[in-house]
Amino acid sequence: MLKKIFNWLMQPIGLIAVGIVFLSVFSAAVYGISLTQQTPPQPIEFPHQTHVQFGIQCLYCHPGAAKGPAAGIPSQAKCWACHNQIEKTGTSELLAPLKNAVLSGESIQWVPVAIVPDFVQFNHRAHVAAGKNCEDCHGDMSKVNIAINPQVMNMGWCLNCHIETAGEDEEKLIKLTDCGTCHY
Amino acid sequence: MTTLADLKISEVKLAAEEGGKWGMVIDQDICTGCQACVAACAMENNIPFVGEEDSGYGRAMHWIRIERFWQGEYPEVKMTNQQPMMCQQCGSAPCEPVCPAFATVHSQAEELNLQVYNRCVGTRYCANNCPYQVRTFNWRDYERPEPLPNQFNPDVTVRRRGVMEKCTFCIQRIHQANHKAKAEGRELMDGEFTTACAQACPSNAITFGRVDKKDTQVYQMMHHGQSHGKKHLEELGTLPNITYLNGGGA
Repeated sequence: MLKKIFNWLMQPIGLIAVGIVFLSVFSAAVYGISLTQQTPPQPIEFPHQTHVQFGIQCLYCHPGAAKGPAAGIPSQAKCWACHNQIEKTGTSELLAPLKNAVLSGESIQWVPVAIVPDFVQFNHRAHVAAGKNCEDCHGDMSKVNIAINPQVMNMGWCLNCHIETAGEDEEKLIKLTDCGTCHY
Repeated sequence: MTTLADLKISEVKLAAEEGGKWGMVIDQDICTGCQACVAACAMENNIPFVGEEDSGYGRAMHWIRIERFWQGEYPEVKMTNQQPMMCQQCGSAPCEPVCPAFATVHSQAEELNLQVYNRCVGTRYCANNCPYQVRTFNWRDYERPEPLPNQFNPDVTVRRRGVMEKCTFCIQRIHQANHKAKAEGRELMDGEFTTACAQACPSNAITFGRVDKKDTQVYQMMHHGQSHGKKHLEELGTLPNITYLNGGGA
């Protein structure tokens, strides 16, 4: 039985069939992996680049980054402060969900893009205080619409920067590579 | 002539004199055993409720417990002072060298025993090697019915099944206070923050703070005159960082 199948596979049509099966499995795997690397769909196709080009600082909408653990996502009230004027021109279709949210009073369900697991305790304040700029980790927002992660945010990536930052300073290195600094 | 054993004890004593960074003083004479610290600890550190059945198997997961003992022979039994027991944050911890996954390591920065949940594979070796029996294991993913998840402390990891855990000296509060002090550009002050158990204690039996500075409250209490201060199982050379004050009264 096995011999029969093997003989069939070794003839030209069998080899082609094997090739097709292999290609389809491979492309399905690639497609599956690519799905995990896409940015999640957002309720509004928020154009970061437009806002950055108008000269709005990151901290205007994400003020938590300078003060505490979470940078924060602005409430629609903050968006509406500017956009209630812009909306009157009726030129942007993208603003419709925002207007609906403001009128109905329901909050917009943004999907966080840069996230760490529950067992990682991340604090923006310490990183901003250490002289890190937003784009060092989050990429250049003047080039993207919906925020994307420019790199995989894993522990190796964190530690590389921590070790680099500590440099020759022994005490700093101990603090920055201590498990208890991030995991508790 | 000094023998090898003497030398080892003197080395241990030398290390003990150096002490850790954070310490705690528990005054057993004023502890009423009200369990407020146990409740506060569970709330602060997202400790699950194991329920009646698992508790019966000895799987209760409190990071701090109130121990009490009887003294004397039957008709004349007397209860000893209540004794809150939690991780002693040993300077030379028996739990640390036995972990095959390096999940329980000694923090050089804070000089505490850390439990790294994402590294823990659940061999439970550390708990078996702890002379204070203060480590608890997540035997299951214990259910938290609504609306209990709303009171999770976001600064503390919610542990899952198969992970060992223990008292952390509220390291999240240490970090939080450090962040606050740094943001305001000053040094961390003594008594600025405290652990959840110390905060909840109605009789102020628990005091938490730095032990490596002489002007802190904890240091003063530890070294006050003819102090009755005692560290538990110190003879094992674990260098615990919790001092118990016990006048001996009931």
